[in-house]
Amino acid sequence: MNAHTHQFLKRSLSNLKRSPLVDVVKFSLLIMAIVWFMARGTERLGYNWQWYRVPQYLFSFKDAHLVVGPLLQGVKVTFHITSVSLLLAFAIGLVAALFRMSNSFVARILARGYLELIRNTPLLVQLFFMYFVLAPILDISRMASAILALSLFEGAYASEIFRAGIVSIHRGQWEAAHSLGLSTFDTYQYIILPQAVRRILPPLTSQAISLIKDSALVSTIAIYDLTMQGSAIISETFLTFEIWFTVASIYLLITVSLSIVVNIMEDRLRVEA
Amino acid sequence: MQEKTLGDYIITVDGISKTFPNGVCALCDFTTKIRRREVVVVIGPSGSGKSTFLRCLNGLEDIDSGSIVIDGIPLDDNKKNRLEIRKEVGMVFQLFNLFPHMTVLENVNLAQRLVRKKTKEGARQATMDLLNKVGMPEKATSYPSQLSGGQQQRVAIARALAMMPKIMLFDEATSALDPEMIGEVLDVMKTLAREGMTMVVVTHEMGFAREVSDRVIFIEEGRIVEEGTAEHFFTNPREERTKLFLSQIL
Repeated sequence: MNAHTHQFLKRSLSNLKRSPLVDVVKFSLLIMAIVWFMARGTERLGYNWQWYRVPQYLFSFKDAHLVVGPLLQGVKVTFHITSVSLLLAFAIGLVAALFRMSNSFVARILARGYLELIRNTPLLVQLFFMYFVLAPILDISRMASAILALSLFEGAYASEIFRAGIVSIHRGQWEAAHSLGLSTFDTYQYIILPQAVRRILPPLTSQAISLIKDSALVSTIAIYDLTMQGSAIISETFLTFEIWFTVASIYLLITVSLSIVVNIMEDRLRVEA
Repeated sequence: MQEKTLGDYIITVDGISKTFPNGVCALCDFTTKIRRREVVVVIGPSGSGKSTFLRCLNGLEDIDSGSIVIDGIPLDDNKKNRLEIRKEVGMVFQLFNLFPHMTVLENVNLAQRLVRKKTKEGARQATMDLLNKVGMPEKATSYPSQLSGGQQQRVAIARALAMMPKIMLFDEATSALDPEMIGEVLDVMKTLAREGMTMVVVTHEMGFAREVSDRVIFIEEGRIVEEGTAEHFFTNPREERTKLFLSQIL
């Protein structure tokens, strides 16, 4: 092989590497591998798949009317719990972060105590404590105790995210606001938080996704969310894998949609700044 | 340059001291008085305390002892007094510190709306006048990141002026700029000085000091080494230390 052909082969090889065809082939190989593994796995399991029985638990038709099945009813409850908890958690997180950075010793201790207590104990224990110990004292419903426990739990993590975002803003921004005579409140509202939010959007989204998945734990205090509905159906029908996979896909659908929405938001905000 | 007459004392600094946590004395028993319409240039080697002095004047740094009185208001622990002083004293920073998420217009409007409680239209009008003054009315809708350093600093000056301050502090306002942009910022500062603004300027721009300052203060290790007119400094400095410093920067 002379130098000329060598050069030619080298160039065609590097062209081939850059071609989109290679990506397609790689992707197909990956999918084939996954399918092969799953097929082998189920084969070994000897499981009798009955996917055709699943749709009725999502929705069905009765007299030409759409009837919402138990799984979708569960989704509604999960939505309710997570949306309220999300708002509360972010509010609690923001307040805790501001307390943590305030000049008041009591506020700082309070925020620190809350953070360490919540972050270092399991959510399940907190949920039980809220439902079995605090709920009777405070006279709150099952739903309210679930939402409260979730918000307090996620709020602790959110507070650290908020704090990181706020301290990441350059000191000069504070000084400029100070020299213009802005109050601390106005400085936070107009200068610090709008900039901090842009930076903490990605970790805050992760936290929101955690919350959605953690909300499955409320099934332990018999709230009929998506997870509870799923396990109820399974105990009646023994469609274990079909239902759990369906439930997992629904969670995936919710969290991925959230990620996409936040991605769009991030792009918008970046253009502004 | 036409002669201007200085007014009464607007800043009285009496024996202030400030020690940093590491034990370094940033200001040691520092005393000076500044008159209305006076332009004071503060020079000194880095770490001499000149920026600290400036930052004490609007309460960005707390003093350990001594007293500062700005236009009859003592800068003490009283929150209301402090706020009043922050409103009356404008400051321009080395790194501009514009608000990056706001347009030029919003940057200059913000404090007028929030602190001076102006109407939207009133603030906008004042802002456009100020942008004209600093020579960039066409940049009102730009974001700071779209501007050059010199333009950003001119916006920062407009933003401080929008509060109608009685005193303007400049903390090395041209030190972070590319050489070709220093002139446009100094021009704005010179115009302000000629209009009779009381100014305290920390700078290494000796041309500015020579042209518009009424007094130059040379600080080292938190103390005034020498002060006098720019004329005195450049022709006949008294202290050896001053001579050495000037020979290094000129």
